[in-house]
Amino acid sequence: MSRSLSDHLRVVRRIARWEVGRSAGTIDRRTAAFALVALLLAGGVASTGALAGGVALDRDIYRVGVSPESPYYDAIASSPALDARPPTVDRADVDLYVGDGYIVADDSQKSRAALAELNDAVRRYNTGAMLAEENRTAAFPVVVSLEYVQRGASIPAGATTGASAESSSGTAGESESGRTGSAGSDDGDAAGPTPDSSRSAGDGSDDGDAADRDDDSLSVPTLGGINPFGSESTGSPADISPPFPFASLVLAFAFLVPMNFVVQAYGGTMLNERINRRGELLLVAPVSPGDIVAGKTLPYLTALVGLTAVVAVAVGGGVVSVAAVLPIGLVFLGATFVGAMFARSFKELTFLTVAISVFLTSYTFVPAIFTQVTPIALISPLTLVVRDLSGAGVSLGEFLFSTGPFFLCAVVLFALGSGVYREEDMFTQRSVPLKFLDALDAHVSRPRDVALVSLLSIPFVFVAELLAIAVLFVLPVELTVPVLLLLVALVEEAAKSLHVFAAFEKGRFARTTRTALLLGALSGLGFFVGEKFTAVAQVVGLPELTLGQAALGPSGVGIGVFSAAGLLLAPLALHVVTAGISAVGAARGRRWYALSFLVAVAVHTAYNLTVVSVLG
Amino acid sequence: MIRVDGLRKTYGDFPAVVGSDFEVGDGEIFGVVGPNGAGKTTTLKMLAGLVEPTEGTATIGEYDAGDAEMRRHLGFLPEESPLYEDMTARSYLRFFADLYDVPREEATRRTEDTLDRLELEHRDRRLGDMSKGMKRKVAIARSLVNDPELLIYDEPASGLDPLTTNYVLEFTRDLAERGKTVVFSAHNLYHVESVCDRVVIMNRGEIIARGTVPEIRAEHGETSYHVFTTVPVEETDVVGADVTDAVDVAADTAVDATPDTDASAGPETYRSVVADMDAVESVRSAAEKAGGEVVDIRTREPSLEDIFLDLAGRPPETRDDGKGRPVAAQADGGVETLDGDGGDRSGHARDDGGAR
Repeated sequence: MSRSLSDHLRVVRRIARWEVGRSAGTIDRRTAAFALVALLLAGGVASTGALAGGVALDRDIYRVGVSPESPYYDAIASSPALDARPPTVDRADVDLYVGDGYIVADDSQKSRAALAELNDAVRRYNTGAMLAEENRTAAFPVVVSLEYVQRGASIPAGATTGASAESSSGTAGESESGRTGSAGSDDGDAAGPTPDSSRSAGDGSDDGDAADRDDDSLSVPTLGGINPFGSESTGSPADISPPFPFASLVLAFAFLVPMNFVVQAYGGTMLNERINRRGELLLVAPVSPGDIVAGKTLPYLTALVGLTAVVAVAVGGGVVSVAAVLPIGLVFLGATFVGAMFARSFKELTFLTVAISVFLTSYTFVPAIFTQVTPIALISPLTLVVRDLSGAGVSLGEFLFSTGPFFLCAVVLFALGSGVYREEDMFTQRSVPLKFLDALDAHVSRPRDVALVSLLSIPFVFVAELLAIAVLFVLPVELTVPVLLLLVALVEEAAKSLHVFAAFEKGRFARTTRTALLLGALSGLGFFVGEKFTAVAQVVGLPELTLGQAALGPSGVGIGVFSAAGLLLAPLALHVVTAGISAVGAARGRRWYALSFLVAVAVHTAYNLTVVSVLG
Repeated sequence: MIRVDGLRKTYGDFPAVVGSDFEVGDGEIFGVVGPNGAGKTTTLKMLAGLVEPTEGTATIGEYDAGDAEMRRHLGFLPEESPLYEDMTARSYLRFFADLYDVPREEATRRTEDTLDRLELEHRDRRLGDMSKGMKRKVAIARSLVNDPELLIYDEPASGLDPLTTNYVLEFTRDLAERGKTVVFSAHNLYHVESVCDRVVIMNRGEIIARGTVPEIRAEHGETSYHVFTTVPVEETDVVGADVTDAVDVAADTAVDATPDTDASAGPETYRSVVADMDAVESVRSAAEKAGGEVVDIRTREPSLEDIFLDLAGRPPETRDDGKGRPVAAQADGGVETLDGDGGDRSGHARDDGGAR
C-alpha cells in the first residue's frame, strides 16, 4: 500500500520534532542557557549594528583632525571608517589633518589608506548630494568632447578614454617614495606632523566649487579633475586593481561560518543512529528511510536557513543572498550526511566533516574573490552574495548557473547516502572507499541503472571541472590546458566506471565481456545525455574562455567544433568506448579495472587533445 | 501467520541462510535455535523486513515481509536494546507510538499498562541512567506500543540476570496467552525449551531439525538409563548381541562404570549408562555375578542442548576479542559492526556470521 505525500510529510514532521526534542535533551540546561544568552548578545550586537547603518568592519579605524566648519566635515562624519577629531588634537594622534584648504597626511601606509578612504567618502558624499538634487541634468551633466581628426589617421591616445586620462592626470605629483604629492599646491606651508610628512592640498586650481558656491548644496569641494589624494598604492584592499570587493567578501564569508557548526551537530546525530545499531528500530517502524533522513535533516536545514536569514539581515543582504546560500547549505548537509553514513567513528566523521568544510569553504569563497573579474567567479553561489551585498544585480541565468550544480549535487549526495541507509549497510564497519562503493552499488540493480547513475554523476563532474578551471586559469594557457584535459578525462572516466566496478564487485552482474560491454555502453550513453546539460554553462559565457572550452568543449558541449553529426556522435562514441574499456576491466577484478581505467583515461585525453589542438 | 519458502540470504559468496522453510501459526511461540553464525538473526531480520532475502519469500499474514504496512502489525525486539539514552522512557515510547499513528490517549494508556505489567518504575528517568534490565523492559514495551499481532524477539533475555531473564520469559508466555504470535530466538536452549511451542534448530544457515521439543527429542534424541550398582561392571560382562549394541550406542565408548558420589545412590555405587531395558538387565546380571546389586535406575531424557550438540557437533570456534567477549569465527574474515561511541572496531559478533 503506497502512502500519500501528506502521510510522508506527517511522518517527516514527527521525526523532525522528535529530533529537535532529542537533540535538545543532549544539552544540559546550563549550557543551553549560556548559549541562549550568548546568542541573544550576538543578535543584539548584530541588530544594533544593523540599525546603526550596517556592520562596518573598519569602523573609526582612521582618525582625522577636522573642524566642524570644514566643508569636509560632513563627508568625514558620514564615513564609518573615519573618526572626526577636533582640529585642536595633537597631529601626531591623527592619520589625516584637514586644514583650511589643505590636507596633511603622514608618510605611512595607514595615512595613505586614510587618504584613500577620505577620497571615497567625499565621492560618496558628493554622489549622495547630487542624487538629492531635483535637477538631475545639472547634477550629472553629460560632457561630450569632440575632436576632429583626419580620415584614416589614428585616433589620438586618450580620445576615447578621457575620463581615465583626466583622472590619471589628476594624480600627478606622486613621488617615487610613495608620498602623496600636492597637485595644486606649491606653497608647501602645510606642515605635516613630521618633517618628512607629505602634504596634499585641495586642488583649488580649476574649480574650487565649494569656495565659490556658498549657496550650493554641494558644499564639499569636488574631487574631480585633479585628484589631490592620489588613488594608487595606498595599501587599501579597495585600491587593488581590478577591484577587490573586500568588505562584501568578508560579509559573504559570515554566511559560511554558522554552517560549520550546524553540520557538526548534524553529522553527529546521523552517525549516532549507526552507533550501537540505534537506528535499527526506526528502520523497522512503518516509515521509509527517506522519511527518516528527511525528518532528521529538516531541523538542521531549518536552522541553516534561519541563521542565513539572520546573517543576511545583519549584513544588509537580501533575498538573493539567502537564496544563494541555501544550496551551499544543502551541499554542506548532503556531504556531511554522506560522511556520517561512511564514517566508522566520530573521529573519522570529524576528519570527514572538516575536510568537507575546508573544501566547500574554499570552493565557494575563493572564486567569489574574482566577482568583478571573470565569469568563473559564478561557479560559486557566494559570488551572488557578494554581488547582492555590493548592490550589483543578478540575472536568472546567472543564478541558475551558480546554484544549479549545488542543488543537483545536494540531491545526488542525499540519494547516495540514502542508498546505504538500510540495515545491511548502516551498521557495518567498512572503510570509506568500500562504503562509497556500497552506496554506488545500492543504486545499481538493473543494467539501465548504470546509465542513470552516470547521468546523475554529471553535477559532480561539472563542479570538479569548474573547480579545475578556477584553480588553473591563472596559469599560462599553454601549460594548463593539457593538464586540464587530463584532469577532465580522469574525472569523467571515474564517474562513468566506478559504479560499474562496484556492481561487478557485489556480484550484481555476470562477469562476462558481453555484459561489461553492454554496461559500458549504457554508462557512456547516460553520461553523454547528462553532459549535454552542461550546456547551461553557456548562459554566462564560460565556454568562451579558453579553459572553459577545453574543459567543457572537447567531449561535451563542443559548440562550433564539429559539424552537427560529429557534434552529436563523436562525444557519444568516445564515452561509450572508454566506458566499455573500463567496464571490461572491472568485470575481471580490481587490478584489471585499474589498468583499464588508465587506458580509458589515456584514450579520453588523446581525444580531448586532438579536439583542442587540431580541430579547435 | 508466517509462511517462509526457500528463504536464502548470501553476503557476497557467504551463505548466511540457506533455503529456510517453515510456518508459524497464530498465537504460537516459535523458537529459532542455533549457535552464533547459525543464521537466526538474519532469518528474523528477513521476517521483519530489515534484510532483503537473496531468494525466497516470507509472508506475514497478507503482507510480504518488508511491506511498510506489515510493520504496523509487527513488534521487533533486537538482540540489544539500542535506545536513545537522552530520552526518558515515557518520551521514547510516546515517540514510537506517534510513528505507528497510535492516538495520544491510547498510546499513554497502552504504555502505562505495559510498563505496569513490566513493573518498570522511574519512567521519567533518562534511559541512559537505567540498568540493562530496565532498558530491556523499555525495549519490550516499545515493541508493544502498536499492539502488534506478531512479535519477533531476538535473544530477548540476552545479557540479563537470571531474575530478569525469568521475568522476560514469563512475560513472553503471557503475551502468547493474550493471542500474540511470538518468534523467538535464543542461544540458551533451556529458555527455548521452556517457552516455545515449536522450534527449528539452525546451524550454518540451515535448518537441521524442526518440530515441538518432544517431537525433536523423539526423532533426534536417545533416552538413556543410568544404572547404579554396588560393584563395578566390566564392559565385557555386558554381553550378548542386543546388550552390546545398546551399550555402545548409549555410552558411546563403553559402559561408564565410575564411582558415583550421589548421596541418594549411596557412597559406594557405580554408574553404568545404557540405552535400553535389555542393557539394564544385562548390567543387573553382571552386577549380581560380581557379588553386587543394582541400587538405583534412573531414566534421563536428552535436553534440547544435548540434541543440538549431537546434531550440530561443536559450535563454531570462538575467539576472544581482547575485551573478554567471545567473537564468532567468521568464514570470510568477517564484518564488524559499529559498537560504542568511540567507534572502535570492537568485533561485535554478528549472529549471521556477518559476511559483508
